[in-house]
Amino acid sequence: MIKKIVFVFFLITVLQSCNAVKEYEKVAINDPDMKLSARTSERYETTFQVYREAAAGANGGKSGGGCGCN
Amino acid sequence: MVVNQVVVVDVINMIKMKKIVIALSLFSGIISSAQEKDSTLVFKKRVLESVEVDFLLSYYNQDGSKSAVSGGIGSEELTDIATNIVVAMPLNDDAVLTVDLGISAYSSASSSNINPFNATGASGGGDDDDGDDDRIGSFAAAPAAAPYGTPWQASSGASKNDELSAVTVNYSHSSDSRNFIWNADVSFSNEYDYTSVGFGGGIAQLFNDKNAELSLKANVYLDQWRPIYPTELHEYSKYGADFLNQGYFAGVTVLDQSGQATVNYLPSAFQTIPSVNRNSYSASVGLSQVLSKKLQVSVFFDVLQQEGLLSTPYHRIYFADKANYYIGQAQYIPQYESESNVGVYKLADDIERLPDSRFKLPIGARLNYYINERFVLRTYYRFYSDNWDIQSHTASIELPIKVSDRFTVFPMYRFYTQTQSKYFAPYETHLSTEKYYTSDPDLATFDSNQYGFGVNYTDIFTGAKIWKFGLKNIDFRFNRYQRSDNLTANIATIGFKFVMQ
Repeated sequence: MIKKIVFVFFLITVLQSCNAVKEYEKVAINDPDMKLSARTSERYETTFQVYREAAAGANGGKSGGGCGCN
Repeated sequence: MVVNQVVVVDVINMIKMKKIVIALSLFSGIISSAQEKDSTLVFKKRVLESVEVDFLLSYYNQDGSKSAVSGGIGSEELTDIATNIVVAMPLNDDAVLTVDLGISAYSSASSSNINPFNATGASGGGDDDDGDDDRIGSFAAAPAAAPYGTPWQASSGASKNDELSAVTVNYSHSSDSRNFIWNADVSFSNEYDYTSVGFGGGIAQLFNDKNAELSLKANVYLDQWRPIYPTELHEYSKYGADFLNQGYFAGVTVLDQSGQATVNYLPSAFQTIPSVNRNSYSASVGLSQVLSKKLQVSVFFDVLQQEGLLSTPYHRIYFADKANYYIGQAQYIPQYESESNVGVYKLADDIERLPDSRFKLPIGARLNYYINERFVLRTYYRFYSDNWDIQSHTASIELPIKVSDRFTVFPMYRFYTQTQSKYFAPYETHLSTEKYYTSDPDLATFDSNQYGFGVNYTDIFTGAKIWKFGLKNIDFRFNRYQRSDNLTANIATIGFKFVMQ
């Protein structure tokens, strides 16, 4: 399962990497809502999700530290 | 003759003029050359133009009926208020120092029941005179009235409240081309029974006209517990087999399943935890790619290894093959598992026991699509697997809608599902012959749905000002979380971003 997901995204990335979008064409890409990261105000939700759920990581956030016990 | 003299003078003047023009041209050339050099410097855009301050405030509450502190049954009511101040300072054109200070204060019915007995008993003031500030409460030598408790309500135990303080300092540096960035961070957090120290660093390389980015990150957290145990187990560890006649239990009646007084309660499976360290090591690879003028994607691949004390020392366990013992009012024993039990608490057989290592493997991806000037689509998916046999899927979607130049609203939805750990079993179903056991509902099989909305206000001209800081952005969001095991939670967050002017 993991291998398939990695392969698909790797394939998409490699195939698309030749078509460079120029800086002046990145008006939409540079929109604040297009950021490829969680919003700053989302951090507390991520924290409680790490406490209440078994899964953690792969979201660009903190991946350890703290007991997560309450 | 005169004419000839005039011509000669004119020629001399012309030569002088030419010299002046050439000199001016050279000078202006030098100036313009210098200006070009200066303009080159000027146009090396600073990574961060000026000091930015984020002020964040969050309110969270939850309730449920499977408290791990009470062995997988009872109130999970919890309220938490957290605030952070994040200050990002440009040190020069290329470097930014970020300091993140946070405080979180919570009140929890669940953790109050580490010592579940009300003011007439274990929590009833005084001191146990053992010299340690045991979080499980302060014991009177022999309470006048019989103590009682219930897993369905908060007790007055000192562990009801706690505060978490945290600080993270991060330094990042960009190359002149802005195509290579490295960073290093240190962090520290502390709460009553837990301290965490962390450090790490990462690099990021941009390729292909900044259309692709490869990042690597590694972090180490060296944490330490100061274990606190459920009251009855604490007393057993302190006084040994005769603990029912000493300390807190002196004069306290223990009941059996039929409500009769007994002296047979002996949690012999319990031993205090010898090692209190928990170390976490993580490595992360991230790859992001602009796929078109409106579409971009990123993939995260993490590897996490945890070692040490991975269980929580105050999570009770009740074995199915052991007799039940209680403190409190006998008439509530038959309805122990119901919220109508307001007067009796079951004594633990042991605390949860979990392996001292855990290997986690999450892989996640974000895909964002700019639909048009009004709509953007933000999506996220993660697959997670670990060697405790937990697998989970997370999917979320958010649709920012630009309702004006300054306001964006964004409805959002998140779905999560997980399979249970091989060490999990519900309340009172573990056997004493097992090596590892937990009744923590966070390690059980469940689904959850989270839905909410956010409102974002942005003023790029920072019209509103406080002292030297202009308000650039306000971000508010509210979410409701519902788990299939009936745990519910609400969380509201507001954030303000100020820019120094």
